[in-house]
Amino acid sequence: MIHIESIEDVQRAMRACAHVLPRGGGSKPALSVPPPDVEELDLSNLKGVVEYNPGEYTFTARAGTRIDEVQALLAGHGQYLPFDPPLAEHGATLGGTLAAGLSGPGRYRYGGVRDFILGVRLVDGTGQLVRGGGKVVKNAAGFDIPKLMVGSLGRFGVLVELTFKVFPQADAFTTVRQPCAKLESAVAALERVYLARLDVDSLDLMPGEGGSATVWVRLAGMPGVLHARAERVRALLGGGDVLDGTDDFLAWREAREFTWVPPGWTLVKVPLTPGRIAGLEAILDPLQAQRRYSGGGNVAWVALPDTVPAQRLDGILLPAGLAGLILFGPAGKVRIGARENEVFERRVKAVFDPAGRLPDLA
Amino acid sequence: MQHTISIDQIGPNGVEMARAVEQCVHCGFCLSTCPTYLTLGEEMDSPRGRIVLMKSALEGTLPLLDSLPFVDRCLGCMACVTACPSGVQYGNLLIPFRVRAEPLRPRTLTERVGRTLVHETLPYPARFRVAATAGRLAELLRPHLPEPFSAMLGLLPDHLPRDAEPLPYLYPAAGKPKARVALLAGCVQQVLAPDINWATLRVLARQGIEVVVPHGQGCCGSLMMHDGDDEGARRLARVNLRAFPTDVDAIVTNAAGCGSGMKEYGLLFQDEPDEEQARAFAGKVRDVTEFLVGFEMAPASLPDPVRLAYHDACHLAHAQGIVGAPRKLLGAVSNLTVLEIPEGELCCGSAGTYNVEQPELAAKIGERKAKNILRTGADAVAAGNIGCIVQIRTHLARLGSSLPVLHTIEVLDRAYRNAPLFTTNEHR
Amino acid sequence: MDNHALQALIDALTSLYPPDRLLSKAGELAPYESDALTAYRVRPAVVVIPETQDEVIQTVKLCHAHKVPFVARGSGTSLSGGSLPVKDGIVIALNRLNHILKLDPRERIAVVEAGTINLDITKAAAPYDLYYAPDPSSQQICTIGGNVAFNSGGAHCLKYGMTSNHILGLKVVLPDGQVVRLGGESTEAVGPDLVGLFVGSEGLFGIVLEITVRLLPRPEKYHTLLAAYSTLEAAGEAVSRVVASGLLPGALEIMDRLAIQAAEAAVHPNYPKGAQAILIVELEGEPEEVSEETQRLEQVIRESGAYEVRVAQDASDRQRIWKGRKSAFSAVGRLSPDYIVQDGVVPRSRLSEALAEIKRLGEQYGLRVANVFHAGDGNLHPLILYDGREAGALERAEKLAGEILDLCIRFGGSITGEHGVAVEKRDYLPRMYSETDLDVMWRLRCAIDPEQIANPGKMFPPGTGGNGVVSPVAHSTNLHPLDQAGIISRE
Repeated sequence: MIHIESIEDVQRAMRACAHVLPRGGGSKPALSVPPPDVEELDLSNLKGVVEYNPGEYTFTARAGTRIDEVQALLAGHGQYLPFDPPLAEHGATLGGTLAAGLSGPGRYRYGGVRDFILGVRLVDGTGQLVRGGGKVVKNAAGFDIPKLMVGSLGRFGVLVELTFKVFPQADAFTTVRQPCAKLESAVAALERVYLARLDVDSLDLMPGEGGSATVWVRLAGMPGVLHARAERVRALLGGGDVLDGTDDFLAWREAREFTWVPPGWTLVKVPLTPGRIAGLEAILDPLQAQRRYSGGGNVAWVALPDTVPAQRLDGILLPAGLAGLILFGPAGKVRIGARENEVFERRVKAVFDPAGRLPDLA
Repeated sequence: MQHTISIDQIGPNGVEMARAVEQCVHCGFCLSTCPTYLTLGEEMDSPRGRIVLMKSALEGTLPLLDSLPFVDRCLGCMACVTACPSGVQYGNLLIPFRVRAEPLRPRTLTERVGRTLVHETLPYPARFRVAATAGRLAELLRPHLPEPFSAMLGLLPDHLPRDAEPLPYLYPAAGKPKARVALLAGCVQQVLAPDINWATLRVLARQGIEVVVPHGQGCCGSLMMHDGDDEGARRLARVNLRAFPTDVDAIVTNAAGCGSGMKEYGLLFQDEPDEEQARAFAGKVRDVTEFLVGFEMAPASLPDPVRLAYHDACHLAHAQGIVGAPRKLLGAVSNLTVLEIPEGELCCGSAGTYNVEQPELAAKIGERKAKNILRTGADAVAAGNIGCIVQIRTHLARLGSSLPVLHTIEVLDRAYRNAPLFTTNEHR
Repeated sequence: MDNHALQALIDALTSLYPPDRLLSKAGELAPYESDALTAYRVRPAVVVIPETQDEVIQTVKLCHAHKVPFVARGSGTSLSGGSLPVKDGIVIALNRLNHILKLDPRERIAVVEAGTINLDITKAAAPYDLYYAPDPSSQQICTIGGNVAFNSGGAHCLKYGMTSNHILGLKVVLPDGQVVRLGGESTEAVGPDLVGLFVGSEGLFGIVLEITVRLLPRPEKYHTLLAAYSTLEAAGEAVSRVVASGLLPGALEIMDRLAIQAAEAAVHPNYPKGAQAILIVELEGEPEEVSEETQRLEQVIRESGAYEVRVAQDASDRQRIWKGRKSAFSAVGRLSPDYIVQDGVVPRSRLSEALAEIKRLGEQYGLRVANVFHAGDGNLHPLILYDGREAGALERAEKLAGEILDLCIRFGGSITGEHGVAVEKRDYLPRMYSETDLDVMWRLRCAIDPEQIANPGKMFPPGTGGNGVVSPVAHSTNLHPLDQAGIISRE
């Protein structure tokens, strides 16, 4: 493991080593375990906010900066990262979050990590320091390399510095939780909220025992009208308990930190759409998986007991045309399930990493 | 847009033509309201494309003949003028361009005969009646006739109305006259739909407006004007300059095409000795709805509820900007619901003699209008122009619909008399 | 350019297209020579008008086989010359590929062909109370394919993002004719965001055929406020206050006096008389929340020194306020025979500073500059007014334009917020990015398009790559001295 203290360190390491894998906080273990003869670059010390201008809604920070530190800094100015980065308490970093392409439940309202990245600096496979994007919230010059880096898992370069757009934090939150006896009614309720002309902050669905499921709706905004708005949500859901204060906070912390995933289990991210929730539930049934649907049903978080190999999930997702990314669990082939035609990806890879120093596209 | 047009060398109206080109910023906002662009889907048949073509032809960087097929296909509906944020007066480029092009372009024998036929019959009611009757008899020959004759015949109604009573010289107002106007009786309309003029007289009178129908008047010349024959247009216009009195509050017309054309007399007579007289005339021209809306309307009601789709004649809405007045007048009638037609800004395809000169394209555009009308679920259609009425009726019929199509003023007339809007006998 | 190859391509195209969809006559080609950047005109060899995706694919394959460049064109509304043809190349007009293939309200997505008009997507989604959020001012005619190629913006970008934030999937034909699907129907993905890379690639990566877009529920309530100020600085200051108050408006727009004049003459929005600047602020969302936010907004505006404040009372009021703003560019044509519209970005906090500097520069060059801008995200649209017939005016205008771009870069902004680089600003790309960065982008381009036939001459300055890059030659109808002297390159 090479401990990185500066951008030059990264460049040197890239030129010196035959194969490298960047690592942030190690909060997504499957993504941070290097294969044999791959040098791991520990970027957790390449940290610090370089520039923060609340009036501009932007900040620039080193890639190894911890999410929780950034959030605390932003909160002091009444701002936040709207894509609700997960695993902050597990040490997730800005770079790791971007490279893994992860967003939390709060992504429902304004968008995911890809919608807030403005600029990146990275060290490519030849050791060059490359800049993409810019530092302002609106920029259409040049190719959108920052977006390319989202979900790239370090395949194209080692992120060293990132510029993000932020938003003002809402004044207050409330949550409506509606347990449903059947999955069907929960999905129907979720879809009603999905289509409604509401400004919902988070919309999740968590299957439970015996075919039941709970719908979770979070609202954010001015405190005075929050409960009136919650009543509208309750009407749509057909009922539900209202959670405030600590209860609201803890409910979403559980989602963001994946505390519902038993220790030692495999956790896989599966992009989805709300209309496909029922279908996925059906094919996951035999696996004793635990699931949580987030972002209004645009992502499924599937947790498998360690007795179930990830290959089994691969075998289920592939015919269903779904893709998966292993976050906790076995390293190696972390992208499972269906894959897009790799033509485009390969050509891009060849530009950034001609010598193959960074991990392959698998 | 930049151009290299030699303004002094392109003849009259050179300044206006160049200004239209200059003001165009090529933004493309006009494309979404152009019936030919929506139908044909190619840049040459859009206002923006036509401006480029006319500009290039005027500059001499493009042979004139290369631009003509596309300029010919322009309806002259002026929807682009309404949509244009830069204020390009497209008509000030199109009309003089057509005039300029006319002597310079070859025309086939069929084309020349067709144009002569149109120019020599339509403006003259007596001749038109003869031609239309002959046309009815020649119906059997229709499949064998070349366009535009076939198209012309296709537009004629099944039965020509009986030769109506001649219009009186003076139609007195009900009660003390609040105003005095002169009415343009029109040409084709007098043969195809004489009741429109009578309805106009009745409605004006009920509102306390005295109407004179000058003797010796004739066709306003708009058809020729928009067709590139400015000499012919002026000849006809002068008849009216002589025939119409100047001491009236307005010169009223119930045909959008005529109103739009007459308001352009200033441009038509530019640099002519009688330019001033023409401008004075033009300054008094009003569409009947435009004039009526300025008066406190008497209560009006239809006996039974009717849902009426209102069609904006392009020469009323776009060329003259008259959109609110007809709707306000119709809206004030009880038992009448006015419905908006989807894609209402699109021409019906009549556009003067367009449906005769570009029959295929006019048919596509007419079909689109008819389908949009049927989508409203209306019981009847109203429009402020005889050309539209004929075109819409034709294309509704081709879709198997016998929805009644009336003139706006006929609707108002029946409302004032509390007469039913239509009976089965009304279908012409 | 090898004319042999071009002729062979044209012969092949005649088998693929009927004569009325393969345009080659002068009268047919002239209207396609330019898009909304009218200073540049290039006559293409032919224009083809495909009606199916397959025709597009076959056309690209043929171009690749014969190594002839192609330019895709939607409605030709690009302000940066994005669809400017290439000499001895072809134009592929996509406006007839305009079918909405699927609209799934439950999944809140639509799958549309590239030639679909932006606003038509919203119209199709309206019965479900859904809409497509990105709203460039030309949305009634611009195509979604063009929006994707240039990552178009609009007035609601601060809160809702740009085109790229609303694209879920793409079906594209690469310059070598291969068809590739990127992304899908989900807002989440696994693997690198190739859709994100493709959006905004200015046609250099191929042609988009089919686009999966995300639809949002229509906000239930809009609160549209218009505030009039007696100085531009005060309006800019008001924006900072709104931002500082923690509100996130859907739109924050400013128009200066000249722009107001133009808009008033064009569409009569009846803006407050005598305003030196007007600020449009729009809040939207659930009615209760909007009401609360309105109170905060109105206090901020009260304290900002506006001399008149109006609130839209209904939908038609709101339409009228926006109509003035959206027609501002084109309306400026009423104030001046010619103009250059720019698209720079500066950090929002330096907006007033930038405007003051632009004013000073305008005076220095003796030219009027109208200003319209997305104040919320620092995206300026200075409209440099000039009269092309006046000797030297165009040169002064272009020099002024260059200085404004330099200003944006100096302030740490961008040379383009939403119009793209294309032809207009390609010489400035090296001022924003280092040689290394440009080199990576160039190599990316060449990896996807080794033959450099996809929209060549756009985005990169001429001579990039140094190995005989084919640049289009623009035949401007007025070749002026600076052009001839090679001081500015318009090729």
